[in-house]
Amino acid sequence: MADHSIFKEAPTVAMASPDGESDQSVHHLGYRGWSGERTPLWTRWIVISKVGIRRSWENRWLKRLLFFAWLPAVWFGLGFFLWEQAANYPEWRQIVTPMIQNLPPDPVLDEIKEAVQSGTLAKARHTVWSWLLNAFIRYPQPVLMVLVIGLISPPLISQDIRSRAFLLYFSRPLTRGEYLLGKMATLWAYLALITTVPALTQYAIGVVLSPNLGVIAATWDIPFRILAASVVLMLPTSALALCFSSLTQESRNAAFAWFAIWILGWFTYGAVSTAEAFNTQQEFQRHARDHRFRQRGAVEDLPVRQESVWTHLSLYHTLGRVQSWIFGFSKMKDVLASIAILVVITCVSLVVLFYRVSAPMRV
Amino acid sequence: MSVLIDLAEITKDYGHFRALDRITLQIHSGITGLLGPNGAGKTTLIKVLLGLVKTTSGRGRLLDFELGRQSREIRAHVGYMPEDDCYLHGMTGVECVQFVAQLSRFPAIEALRRAHEILDFCGLAQERYRLVETYSTGMRQKLRFAQAIVHDPPVLILDEPTSGLDPEERQVMLNRIRLLSRDQGKAVVLCTHILPDVQSISDSVVILAHGRVLVSETLAELSRPATPSLQIRLLGLPDAFLERLRQQEIEFLPQSNGTVVLQGAPDELAKVAWKAAKETGAGIRSMTPSRNSLEEIFVNAVRSEHQNG
Repeated sequence: MADHSIFKEAPTVAMASPDGESDQSVHHLGYRGWSGERTPLWTRWIVISKVGIRRSWENRWLKRLLFFAWLPAVWFGLGFFLWEQAANYPEWRQIVTPMIQNLPPDPVLDEIKEAVQSGTLAKARHTVWSWLLNAFIRYPQPVLMVLVIGLISPPLISQDIRSRAFLLYFSRPLTRGEYLLGKMATLWAYLALITTVPALTQYAIGVVLSPNLGVIAATWDIPFRILAASVVLMLPTSALALCFSSLTQESRNAAFAWFAIWILGWFTYGAVSTAEAFNTQQEFQRHARDHRFRQRGAVEDLPVRQESVWTHLSLYHTLGRVQSWIFGFSKMKDVLASIAILVVITCVSLVVLFYRVSAPMRV
Repeated sequence: MSVLIDLAEITKDYGHFRALDRITLQIHSGITGLLGPNGAGKTTLIKVLLGLVKTTSGRGRLLDFELGRQSREIRAHVGYMPEDDCYLHGMTGVECVQFVAQLSRFPAIEALRRAHEILDFCGLAQERYRLVETYSTGMRQKLRFAQAIVHDPPVLILDEPTSGLDPEERQVMLNRIRLLSRDQGKAVVLCTHILPDVQSISDSVVILAHGRVLVSETLAELSRPATPSLQIRLLGLPDAFLERLRQQEIEFLPQSNGTVVLQGAPDELAKVAWKAAKETGAGIRSMTPSRNSLEEIFVNAVRSEHQNG
């Protein structure tokens, strides 16, 4: 391969060779000073995130996953369409009514069912839109989030540790915070693509299909709730995923830890909640057999089954509880523990991240 | 020469281990060789200069910026070439250089243009489009050098820039460094174990051992022997020539291979020697003022530190 070193064969225009050679290739400019305008100081994290986004995009599995991540949005978008059609055109109510009536008993759904029965669908618009968006962000998207982050995050920091790239980063005017922000922004970009963007698109579809733009005034808070729910989904998960990535030089170890924490949490919660449900059923049957109980006929005396405290074993369900509160379907006192858990996970992950990122510098 | 780095009583402890021990030092513009045996504290000193580690005590300045407090400004004005084999995984050579230029606040397009220009300068031609994981040791060395200079810093800190290079490439790399200093006015701190590299291009030398500064002086001053003398290599039999020197009452020491060392001021002795050669028909092959070799200086400095310590 040809070597165009100026010292071997081609001195430069800008900088003469000490040997006084004069021939040089046309494209070869040698070393020249640079005095152009620099980009603003705060933009350096964007450079890191752009590179992360571009390199992640090269993963063909990620592209496929992103395609599938929009399928739930189509499904929920259909919900928006049907509701707005029913609200605007009475003939559509024949289609919507049986669908709504078949939904399981739930305080929120009962409110919607009542609106359908009384024909005041427009009044329930805010509740329906919030319910659809909450269901979208709470149930299918976190599963896809786990898969997307599992594909992107493991090599983000572990590869920098393995290739000792920290020296390249931090010998530049770059802080640890900017480095981590850049890495997190890579994850946030993809997470926004599968949660925030489709949710806002559904909201926009709802607005477009509604009879007039007055609905914006009635539902102005929903986009903000979408953003807040997205933040709840993104912050703890991206911090935790990067934390795993920073703890190892091997990407596969980070990926294993990431998937393990979700799967174990899910199954542990599943097992415990199943046992809990079994106990509740046993209790109900015992009461049913009780003569005094039957005499009183006080089914209402049975304790109302709340969302189990064991949900905190599962990060998936813990996230869902907080998102449900953001969309107005839970009370704050019921989700305080969940919020605290997410805050602790985020803070501990960030502390570990800052420590691990600076560790190679201290040696 | 202006003062580039000014350190006063810099101390750095890692737990109970003292890596830098009250370093007081001034480094001027030009090329400064930073020498020292393994574990002398060279890399720690570089990390302190870049603000990558905090000092235990002491203060200092690099250019107009205060160490520890203005680390980001310092790093914006310094090009650092690490000794470690560090690279950005999954990127081509040109992407790597463009990326670090962007981290130094170059606009994306300008960073790409500049990356190509610098890779030409550093002798990475078509290899620039290969993934850096596939680079040889020498290529990675050149890539790290390109990354250090891409943002046109006024100060370069180069940690072992010629290690892993073949002899020819080593000379080319030294030429690059020399030209950057001479033609572009860049101040260079050259940290290396290869003493001939320092001797061939440095203006001044700093020798560290056990975290202390043993020597900090210009190379010209260090090379000057305690007793001035002139070394002459002669062609043929020098007996008549030596006899003429005796008559002139000049002290000399005949050595092997037709070499003779004349004791005294080199300028004066040179005139006498030329005259004697002309009169006796002796041929002079070379005539150089005697100088201390850097190896001698280094070994003596480290040995005296061992004896004192």
